[in-house]
Amino acid sequence: MSVLLDHLPEFWEGLVVTLQLTAASFAGAAVLGLVVTSMRVSPVAVLRGIGTAYVETFQNLPLLVLLVLAVFGLPEIGIKADLLVTAVVVIAVYEAAYIAEALRSGVNAVSAGQGEAARALGLTFGQSLRHVVLPQALRTVIQPLGNVFIALTMNTSLAAAVGVVDLTAAANRVNLIEAQPIPIFVGAGLAYALVAACVGLVTGRLERRLVTAG
Amino acid sequence: MVVSMKRVAAVAAVSMIGLSACSGTGSGSPAVPGETGGAAEGAGVLAKAPVAAAADILPGSTMEKIKQRGELIVGGSLDAPLLSQQNPVTGEVEGFDADMGKALATYIIGEPKVKIVNSASETREALLSNGTVDVVFQTYTITPERAEQVAFAGPYYSSGLTIAVKKGTTGIAKPEDLNGKTVIAGANTPAIPAIKKLAPQAEIVTFGSDPECIQALKQDRGVAYVQDETLLIADAQKDPAVEVVGSPFTTDPYGIGLKHGDDQFKKFVNDWLKKTQSAGVWQGIWKNSIGTVVQGEAPAPPQIGSVPGS
Repeated sequence: MSVLLDHLPEFWEGLVVTLQLTAASFAGAAVLGLVVTSMRVSPVAVLRGIGTAYVETFQNLPLLVLLVLAVFGLPEIGIKADLLVTAVVVIAVYEAAYIAEALRSGVNAVSAGQGEAARALGLTFGQSLRHVVLPQALRTVIQPLGNVFIALTMNTSLAAAVGVVDLTAAANRVNLIEAQPIPIFVGAGLAYALVAACVGLVTGRLERRLVTAG
Repeated sequence: MVVSMKRVAAVAAVSMIGLSACSGTGSGSPAVPGETGGAAEGAGVLAKAPVAAAADILPGSTMEKIKQRGELIVGGSLDAPLLSQQNPVTGEVEGFDADMGKALATYIIGEPKVKIVNSASETREALLSNGTVDVVFQTYTITPERAEQVAFAGPYYSSGLTIAVKKGTTGIAKPEDLNGKTVIAGANTPAIPAIKKLAPQAEIVTFGSDPECIQALKQDRGVAYVQDETLLIADAQKDPAVEVVGSPFTTDPYGIGLKHGDDQFKKFVNDWLKKTQSAGVWQGIWKNSIGTVVQGEAPAPPQIGSVPGS
């Protein structure tokens, strides 16, 4: 255990980067996911097509492939950003596909009559989505979104492969010196588990509150 | 030294499977640096490799277990050029570390029968202590910290870290010049602690494999790339955009990783190493691998047991 305490600053720095990656890419993925869901349920066929293509593309490509392509491929065509920024954007774009699917299942759970009633009252498609359908849809998908959030947290560890010094990379570096993989990676694993447990706790509370409020 | 992340290795392995499936048994040109000698020459050196006398294989010992199994299980890399790299055409693992493993197998079993388990620096100690692998040949630098977890025979080779830059870069000649700059290093290589020690203000970015590091250097992700000298010489030969500056600034004695506490096996492996070196097999293996990019005759092997931890 002393190996963890001796290298606490390195682990802490890694954890901070992991939390930054997680928070920034989830925020991006949530916004993007919402846009994609709106496209997928929109009355315009072209938008539905684009939304479907987006989800199918990014759900069917491994995240590591996307990361390597973005980090090494984009500079070849003149697009080069900081490694952390690149990783955040790629993870956000990838996870948006999963968030969009979770949101769509929520939208489908709202009975069609709700949308029709909103339309009958004279609301536009955007208004009916914003005021009637999405608020009800979100309530049903809090737990699935929490799962996406946890998966995203775990997926941030892939950024270690493209030069971002997150918790996984920090653990690797400490192990390089100390050669005690079991305590080191158990420690890093516990930190990930702790983050995931916090997310689970928050989504559980949110769900209970919003369901009773409805 | 170029222990790539396992995930990247998996991707590479999959693409290798694809490649070998396409090429079939056709006799391709050497696809791997260090392979210019060809398999025939490698086999020629191994044919001269010493074989242990029956009396040396003590009953109940690790070497007897290996002999009965008929196969030496080696923890190693599949993606380290010149050291231990799987040839996508033949499927054979080639290089200095790989051939040393085959020579040890010959010594114990009488035939170069080796199974390479792809290990990584985060798994080596565990693989040795739980008995998944018999030995580790993987640019495994002997350090006192590691020697508390595993036993080291050797050192069997000594190398050093050096600096590569994009051709035309000025102002970088020694490790201290890296302070305040962004430096590329292979993930899980001893370059990371070495840079931290000599240039504490340098920012280190790491990538899984050597080709990725070279690509990152060319795309200005960092101003310099610190890696084992042998690899950098090979890189600079393949790619004219990259040049090596200065001479090695560290000495990394590579040891043969063994299970901690197995003194009998350690002595046995050290005896084998001595015989291999005096028979000229060590030198032949060097010539076929590292010697294909480094000029001149094989260097004098390091003194066995000369390093703290060995």
